[in-house]
Amino acid sequence: MTITKMLNILLFLSLSALVSSSPLKIDQKLVNKNVERSIDLTSHLVKLSTTLTLENTGTSPVSNYLISLEPGTIGNLSFISVKDALKEDLKVKPTKVSGHEDEVFYDVQLKQPLGASRTVLLNLEYVLTRALVPYPTEITQKDKQLVRYFGNHYFYTPYTTIKQTTTVTLASRNIESYTKLKPVSQSDSSISYGPYTNIAPFTIDVLNVHYENNSPFLTVTRLHRLIEISHWGNIAVEENIEIVHSGAKLKGPFSRYDFQRDTSSNHHSIKAYKTILPAAAYNIYYRDSNGNISTSTVRPRKDWIELELRPRFPLFGGWRSSYTIGYNVPSYQFLYRKGANTYVLAMRLLDHVYDDMHVEELETNIVLPVGVKNVKLNTPYKVEHLENGETHKYLDNLGRIVLKLRKSNLVEHHIQDLELTYDWDTITLLHEPLLLAVALFILFIIVIIYVRLDFSINKSEKKE
Amino acid sequence: MVEITTLPRYVSPVNPAVFPHLTVVLLGIGIFFTAWFFVYEVTSTKHSRSLRKELAVSLVASIFSGFGILFLLLSVGIFV
Repeated sequence: MTITKMLNILLFLSLSALVSSSPLKIDQKLVNKNVERSIDLTSHLVKLSTTLTLENTGTSPVSNYLISLEPGTIGNLSFISVKDALKEDLKVKPTKVSGHEDEVFYDVQLKQPLGASRTVLLNLEYVLTRALVPYPTEITQKDKQLVRYFGNHYFYTPYTTIKQTTTVTLASRNIESYTKLKPVSQSDSSISYGPYTNIAPFTIDVLNVHYENNSPFLTVTRLHRLIEISHWGNIAVEENIEIVHSGAKLKGPFSRYDFQRDTSSNHHSIKAYKTILPAAAYNIYYRDSNGNISTSTVRPRKDWIELELRPRFPLFGGWRSSYTIGYNVPSYQFLYRKGANTYVLAMRLLDHVYDDMHVEELETNIVLPVGVKNVKLNTPYKVEHLENGETHKYLDNLGRIVLKLRKSNLVEHHIQDLELTYDWDTITLLHEPLLLAVALFILFIIVIIYVRLDFSINKSEKKE
Repeated sequence: MVEITTLPRYVSPVNPAVFPHLTVVLLGIGIFFTAWFFVYEVTSTKHSRSLRKELAVSLVASIFSGFGILFLLLSVGIFV
């Protein structure tokens, strides 16, 4: 019995060793000398930023640092970045650690190996989505929206932490309750925890804050972005957006009268929000399946265009809406020439929808011009590259390549440029006008042939 | 990898600002030759008709109309 058990364990261990190619070890010589955490709960996202000072108490240099996530938060993680003291990004990649197979770790490659008894400063930033839970889950129109956050009093780390402080910033000063692990102090809309000292690795002590948060709990459930390149000097962008209010659900009836009377800006429903477009955008349209939505305002700013969108109806918890927004930009904004027949498109994979946005699923399609070859794609982060499609647009007998990219769970930090390099002959520009000219010429030929046909019954009287 | 911003920007071989003017000029010439072609077709008889002249006029008409229609599409915002 015990032997079979042991064999099973051995088998499992060898299998897990096979799956994770080379599990890293936790270097216990590394300690977090000082950790300053700040948890931003002002929006519907949870933004954690941590400044930590590492110290190598061992004798040999260390070149990588491990970040671990609290169990159960991995599905919520949208974005992670680590910067050094000079604000330069460090390489972060998911990894496995021996002895902790069921947990998720991120391996940070330090710029220079950390020598014995040296310290280094790191800035760790990550964004969690769907981490704030409305409680109560259903509220009436007049109620305030209360949410709960579950976190950890301690910085969850595989290393020993010498000293740690935490600041929690909330959306309002109305706090129902919060865990009081001493020393703790509350002032206005922020709670300070700590300093705590000498914390063992992987310590969890649940931090719970229940507070009022009326910031827009807006989630984009699906964003379909279409970029169409024309070498006649234009790039057309169209976004099909499906949104949902992901806060506390509306209980009971909706009263338009009460809604109109309530003029306070601090309400859990969503009346309007702002989208930022490129400064050179023109021919902007905003519509849905019913047609044009007239409640939008375009305000040109110095470096961008601000578009205030008002959905057809205010959004309450659980309510959905969908719309289409589109615009044109001149090609010189995003299209570059590299060599004689090679072009580079540097454009955003995802663009701004609203502040502190959360996009559950993004699909970006890029329609290339006719006759494009050698397409090379360079994305700022990992995206799923679907099979290329083919589409037919106006005056298009050959078809155009459509690049399809997909990614889920995105936030504002994912607004970054992709680089698309392709070969294309300038002479292909003449394809469309010549197609038109040939079609018209065929029409004329038909007329020429037609006038030569004789359909008359009796023969012409006049002879030569 | 070459830094993107150092590369020259791509501009259209035809300035988009002149699309409407090109449309008027090219389509004007195209329509003129098309009209000439049809007038010729209906006024000439079986005996006075010349195939060479018909082909020449229709070729000019189709080329000018072709480019004219293209710039018409471009100027109304259908970027082909």
